[in-house]
Amino acid sequence: MEHSLETIESLERAVAHFMARPDLAEFESLALRIYRFQFANNTPYRLFAAQNSRHRSPSRWEDIPAVPQDAFKHATLIAFAPSAITSTFRTSGTTGRGHGLHHFRDTTLYKKSIIHGWRACGLPEIRRLVLIPPGHLAPHSSLSHMMSALETLRGSQQFVTDDNGAPNFDRLVTLVQSAVEPVMIMGTALTFLHLLDYLDGRILPLPEGSFLWETGGYKSLRRSLPKTEFYAALCECFGISSYNIFNEYGMTELSSQFYAAGLDQPHRAPPWLRARVIAPDTSHECAIGDTGFLRIYDLANIGSVLAVETQDLAVRHESGFVLLGRDPAALPRGCSLSSEELLARADLTS
Amino acid sequence: MNGGYPLLTHEIAERLVVATAKFPFLGQIGVQDLLALVEAELGHGEILDRFCIHHSYARQENGKPAIIQMAKAVPPRSILHVMSGNTPHAALQSLIRGLLLGAHNFCKLPSSGLPEVAEFRDALPRPLCHEIELATDLPTKWLDEAEAVIVFGDDETIAHFRKLVRPDQIFVPHGHRISFAVIFDDPLYESPRLAARDVSLYDQQGCLSPHVIYVNENGSIDAKNYAERLSYAMADFNRHTPRRKLDAASAAMITNIRTSYQFRAANNHGVRIWQSKDSTDWTVIYEEDPMFTVSCLNRVVFVKPLPASLAPALFPVRRNLSAVGIHPATAQNGRLLARYQGISRICPLGRMQYPPVTWHQDGGQNLAPLVRWIDMECDQRAKPPKTDELPLGGLRKVV
Repeated sequence: MEHSLETIESLERAVAHFMARPDLAEFESLALRIYRFQFANNTPYRLFAAQNSRHRSPSRWEDIPAVPQDAFKHATLIAFAPSAITSTFRTSGTTGRGHGLHHFRDTTLYKKSIIHGWRACGLPEIRRLVLIPPGHLAPHSSLSHMMSALETLRGSQQFVTDDNGAPNFDRLVTLVQSAVEPVMIMGTALTFLHLLDYLDGRILPLPEGSFLWETGGYKSLRRSLPKTEFYAALCECFGISSYNIFNEYGMTELSSQFYAAGLDQPHRAPPWLRARVIAPDTSHECAIGDTGFLRIYDLANIGSVLAVETQDLAVRHESGFVLLGRDPAALPRGCSLSSEELLARADLTS
Repeated sequence: MNGGYPLLTHEIAERLVVATAKFPFLGQIGVQDLLALVEAELGHGEILDRFCIHHSYARQENGKPAIIQMAKAVPPRSILHVMSGNTPHAALQSLIRGLLLGAHNFCKLPSSGLPEVAEFRDALPRPLCHEIELATDLPTKWLDEAEAVIVFGDDETIAHFRKLVRPDQIFVPHGHRISFAVIFDDPLYESPRLAARDVSLYDQQGCLSPHVIYVNENGSIDAKNYAERLSYAMADFNRHTPRRKLDAASAAMITNIRTSYQFRAANNHGVRIWQSKDSTDWTVIYEEDPMFTVSCLNRVVFVKPLPASLAPALFPVRRNLSAVGIHPATAQNGRLLARYQGISRICPLGRMQYPPVTWHQDGGQNLAPLVRWIDMECDQRAKPPKTDELPLGGLRKVV
């Protein structure tokens, strides 16, 4: 194994410093330091990166090889000793292909990334009503971990969930109806759809200056609802503008999050998180306005792999990207069966 | 006439083959093939034209039956065909069947178009060419008038039309299907070019396109070598028949699957990948794990060693299986596969995309579900019936 003088602790300190006082000029040198550390200490990653000689010693952050997202399902991607693992977060496995695992030896930097990222992306620190179970009820959920990490933000935070972690809509309605100050209701897109069903056309106006925060898809609901209609229903129900709806784009395989405010708005990232929109045919970065898949570079992912290639499509934008997701409408259709469809079907029967 | 054509079955068949000859991908279709299809499915080659003897019963003392049961098949006056955009083959075969029965055909084309259907209609002699109407939307009148509705497409499309049809309408769905191939033996590696053709034709969009090629590692061939030979054949095929240009989502699927398998190849000797350079044109993935892997399509194929039993490997896709291309295509090899649940067609490798007009699509009959029957039981003791004196159905020529 190639040895690196860099330690995970020194890199964590450097990234924490970068989060507190970002200097964009430092992004590249930090990314390359982390890459070299991971190449030296993360064996599955090194084997992958070493396949291509161009990848072995990149001189630009853009050339750092990115692992496919599902590599977290096929290998233990850690740059530290397995015995040092203290936390493991599991992907939802909604595609029926097993779980990906993201291991941490220490979640301090992860928590810092969540808090600093929130502030860097300009999300308000107001009272939060959370429809996602807290971390202790779902110890392997990165989303729940994030919700618990957010408790240190200014503004109070309340988990509006039952003992088993299920959202408690009755209680939410009571809390909202008695709210005078602005609130932010936080939940998955699927939970918001269930909430709309629960309200069944009733409106639940929020105090002025309130927000919704949603994340994730709702494919498993087995119904097709375009995002425009989803947001329109939310705006009507809660009496807010779509610009007061934040979409969080994150994943278990990362330690940082992107945010967009409003429909079809670009996702923005904190300074230690970058995304490139890659043209699938050429593997080069797309021109602005073109569609490709997302390759993400997260400096907070020190213990695993900082560069992750996703299956999500996006349109490159001057100030980020507009997320399209895994657009099933664009997939092959007809009498042959695509893997996504088969897996979706497997989900229905599981 | 009550709609329909003033033609007998063999006269329709004679006109149909004029058009089918202009579409080589349909294979050689002769008049006798079409009449054989009618006979195989409906019991008699002229049963659409006249009453034919179906059965006799009530034997008399002299041993002769007292009653003869005559039967005539009555086709739907009109059929609505809802086509998918994947391959023209299924669309044209469906139209050929509709015309052969004597029905008027409404054809709802996919929004992406299927130019071969209009070309086929234009190649038909009169009056058959007037018996096909085409549209990319769905005129309400079509659904109202059609006595039978045939739908090709995904689950959502089929569920949509299933809701729309009336109880009195015949409904024939053709849903998702996937296929694979098995190489039982090929010591000289002669079959990869056949496999490449089956995979590459129609860019793997059809239900007869193989997703996986299982190789029987019997000592003279091994799966990894086969995969490498197949990659050469895929490249050759792509040189003379390039794949269509893909949208970003489809191309991204290929890039993602390639990166995923490159990672696995780096970490696991049981995986290897060959791919077109600087493009997503074709991809061959060798994988030791025999579990059936569904391709993301567009010329991405898996090669795996043939396990002792395919049943566990095929289990997840057993309800969606269609064809198996085999090499060599002996009856003995075919019988080995016929026992697996879901397989409905076993054919020579290289012929997967050319099912004969007489094939049982999706394991079922094609003409029989579309017709209704008129039975007529005649008393022999009165006056023996002459078939040409019997009343005929209103849809066809009276002879």
